[in-house]
Amino acid sequence: MSAEKKEYLLVDENGQGKPDKPWIFRTYAGHTNAKASNELYRKNLSKGQTGLSIAFDLPTQCGYSSDHEVSRPEIGKVGVPINSLEDFRILFDQIPIEEMNTSMTINGTSMWLLSLYVALAEERGVPLEKLNGTTQNDLIKEYLARGTYIYPPKDSMKIIVDMYEYSLHNIPKWNPSNICSYHLQEAGATPVQELSFALATAIAVLDAIKERNCFSDDEFEQCVGRISFFVNAGIRFVEEMCKMRAFTEMWQEITTERYKVKTAKYRVFRYGVQVNSLGLTEEQPENNAWRILIESLGVTLSRNARCRALQLPAWNEALSLPRPWDQQWSLRLQQVLAYETDLLEYPDIFEGSKVIESKVKALKEEAKLEIQKIVDMGGALVAIENGYMKSQLVKSQTERLSKINSNELVIVGKNKWTDGIKSPLMTDSDGGIFKVDPKSAEQTLNVLGEAKSRRNADLAKKSLEDLKQAAKDGKNLMPFSIACAKALVTTGEWADALREVYGEYNPPTGVDGQKLFLSDDKVSTVRGKVEAFTKANGHRPKIVVGKPGLDGHSNGAEMIAVSAKHSGFDVIYSGIRLSPEEIVQSAVEENANVIGLSILSGSHKEIVKQLFDELTHYKAKIPVVIGGIIPESDFDELKKMGIREIFTPKDYDLMSIMEKIIDIVSVEPALV
Amino acid sequence: MIDTQESLSQLVSEALLGEKYPIAKIISKIETEKNLEFRESLFHELSIQNPDSKEGLTIGITGTPGAGKSSLLGELCKLFLDFAPNKKMAIVAIDPSSNVSGGSILGDRTRVTLPRRDTRIYFRSQPSQLELGGLNPYTFHVIRFLRRIFDYVFVETVGIGQNEISVSLISDLSFLVMQPLGGDQVQFMKSGIMEVPEAFIINKCDEESLANSSYYMLESTLEFIKDILPDQSLPPIFKTSVTKRKGIEELLNYILNYQKRKDKNTETLTQLMQWIRNEYGRWGISIWEELESSKWNQAVKRNPLGGIQKLKYEEEERKIVSLIQTKIK
Repeated sequence: MSAEKKEYLLVDENGQGKPDKPWIFRTYAGHTNAKASNELYRKNLSKGQTGLSIAFDLPTQCGYSSDHEVSRPEIGKVGVPINSLEDFRILFDQIPIEEMNTSMTINGTSMWLLSLYVALAEERGVPLEKLNGTTQNDLIKEYLARGTYIYPPKDSMKIIVDMYEYSLHNIPKWNPSNICSYHLQEAGATPVQELSFALATAIAVLDAIKERNCFSDDEFEQCVGRISFFVNAGIRFVEEMCKMRAFTEMWQEITTERYKVKTAKYRVFRYGVQVNSLGLTEEQPENNAWRILIESLGVTLSRNARCRALQLPAWNEALSLPRPWDQQWSLRLQQVLAYETDLLEYPDIFEGSKVIESKVKALKEEAKLEIQKIVDMGGALVAIENGYMKSQLVKSQTERLSKINSNELVIVGKNKWTDGIKSPLMTDSDGGIFKVDPKSAEQTLNVLGEAKSRRNADLAKKSLEDLKQAAKDGKNLMPFSIACAKALVTTGEWADALREVYGEYNPPTGVDGQKLFLSDDKVSTVRGKVEAFTKANGHRPKIVVGKPGLDGHSNGAEMIAVSAKHSGFDVIYSGIRLSPEEIVQSAVEENANVIGLSILSGSHKEIVKQLFDELTHYKAKIPVVIGGIIPESDFDELKKMGIREIFTPKDYDLMSIMEKIIDIVSVEPALV
Repeated sequence: MIDTQESLSQLVSEALLGEKYPIAKIISKIETEKNLEFRESLFHELSIQNPDSKEGLTIGITGTPGAGKSSLLGELCKLFLDFAPNKKMAIVAIDPSSNVSGGSILGDRTRVTLPRRDTRIYFRSQPSQLELGGLNPYTFHVIRFLRRIFDYVFVETVGIGQNEISVSLISDLSFLVMQPLGGDQVQFMKSGIMEVPEAFIINKCDEESLANSSYYMLESTLEFIKDILPDQSLPPIFKTSVTKRKGIEELLNYILNYQKRKDKNTETLTQLMQWIRNEYGRWGISIWEELESSKWNQAVKRNPLGGIQKLKYEEEERKIVSLIQTKIK
């Protein structure tokens, strides 16, 4: 064998060919209850998955126990419900947590979930140094895009810093937070916005840690090394790959220049990926399989910026929750890419490419300007509180939607080549989608009830009081949270204790002053109808856009609010997480002509029923329309309940939606 | 439609009981163009059903966008429910409308979370409908109506330019809400609006020293212009913080104990003048001034205690319309 070095091969120190180790394969999973999720995890691990990515249900994410009234419609829907240590015991049954890399997608209650994990480890006698994983804990993206925040920004940031301080000293391999730009892209961010908002968030976290001054210089370097990122990979995969390279280079620069990190390994941009779900279509959903493959390439091809962990959505996620088979199919894609192809055998294949280099440079330059703007404003927290970042995202999203509307952005099967043969994948008896058994919530509630009755009530009460006092005194809350976990305190109790001290946050909605870039015939048709209504009734039509339940994905509601204003409606939009009672109260007090609901969590039936009950209470006959991820099989039932029109992701043309709404409003007898 | 006397009287009686949907319907009708006849029957009906009707206190709240007016109101509402168990309040929040489509996004409710099915607080949004002056063309009449049902009626408007202080003209008590370091003394004086509000709020006083420095700055500015203030005494200044929950109790107590009422006739007159100016400009005002010397005005002067019914003013409004219309022709 010749000793000649082959530039194109990856070799070990002895010159032997040595491909890279694959990234960690994860599937974002969890549903029904702790027991069902435990079974799912064990099955997935046996299929060759190499890490866990836990999805929590919305009540757990928002800090409510399952027995809270707002939880009821949501228990176990989009993830696993966790009420107390008892649920963690069940969830990790027969899973060796000391060998796992566990990612928890949890933000507002991340300290609580980490406390439960620590309490479980201590109970099992697992040394904390062995715990390996990540709590997402990126509150900024929650305020911007996803909506499962609880406390005001400054208090949330304090909790994050507490977790860094505790983790570095006690669970050194844990990533206490993970800067998540994933949802920014879902909310419409451009690559430049993703780069700049994520890095500005990381700067905000590190600045807050610096300010507390709780680490020596060496420890601070390690702490910088613990910052990891969670990124989205979209369909424009060359640009996405360049974005990843820009991230890597910019993080090197920021850690070197701003934080003076000397150790090279602590300057590495470490990131995990979930590829984009926003671009997945309900129409011809089988096309999504190809989209997912292409999006995976953007984050795996480029060795200098290859992801550390990857999770792929399922082909049918735009329809509803994926079935276990659908998740298995996605996992197989990763395995084909990593084990069948030669991808991992080569050094960086784009090094030296003029196209890639200049694209990366352009992205970096634009992102730097944007970061500077945010830093000048006072940093990411200020840019949240004054609504700057939110309004920028809403703007990008409206631009994107305008482009889809005008066919400037081609989406195969949606606005081009829309005719096709129906997918045989969807003809199975389950209709191709997964539904949570509504009865399964009982199990969760039973476990919760038992845990509460079995625990030492005085100890639980005392540990909660200690937690509150510590929060008032500004102490590090981690040890107090762990004590709560061991005392079998519940998720809702933990979150309520801190709500009492910090209050709840209500952020700017970002829709003020937004404009749509639509000015075709359809807009004038709709405006004409709105004017006709105004003339006939003496006032403009009024719409209450409501976002009930705990799902915080507010894009749809925001786009409808902006389009309604664009059409000439007076719009009442009060942001997310409203109860049906609050929405009806608004509509009644404002004497609205129509209520538009946006629900993506799958809880539409329960919520719609609550809403109509409330309308009956006020003897108000206000027409209601609904938009969201709603399976066709539910249409009949919703219409029977009184829903006038149902919009799904298929209805992407905003002005067609507005036209249907103004038509409904116009035929209603005048309300006064 | 409320086209029969009977259904109006039913709506009014339900509204007087505090039921929200009837109140909401009546407001929509007031907000409808060309509603003079409806207003006449409405206020007539109100005086029949509730002859010794209450006159709620009107509180105007204005200030620059971002001064935190809505959050402050939200906090006031929460305290109000505890502090004034037998009282009721209404809020009218005015937001700007779009110049292009005429539509609007009314987002102020976001900051005010009300207990469900509670009838003690009523919140209503209003688009400004492109009017300058921060008030909607129907705000005045909506407030007149709400005063009959609620003990306190809050009106929130945006902006503190010369035009945006109209709210103080139709309120018994008006506040200018500012942020700490919201402008230097010279700016305050130049703006020429310091003498208008009855009281000041420095909101977002989250940090003690900044709050105090702003307080003293404002106080010394007011001291400087004291001579031109209505009664030449310094108006109160409140320091509030929603995040620290400070100063809001004091503010609420001040409002709950406030006794001074503005003369509602003057208020009506002001509103009428403003309407004429909006509708017909200076020319309309000159016609009004012609009327000034008419018999009707003599009657007002002969009856200085304000016994003139508001309905008379409505009549005048109608008169001037027909007068002006004949002039146009």
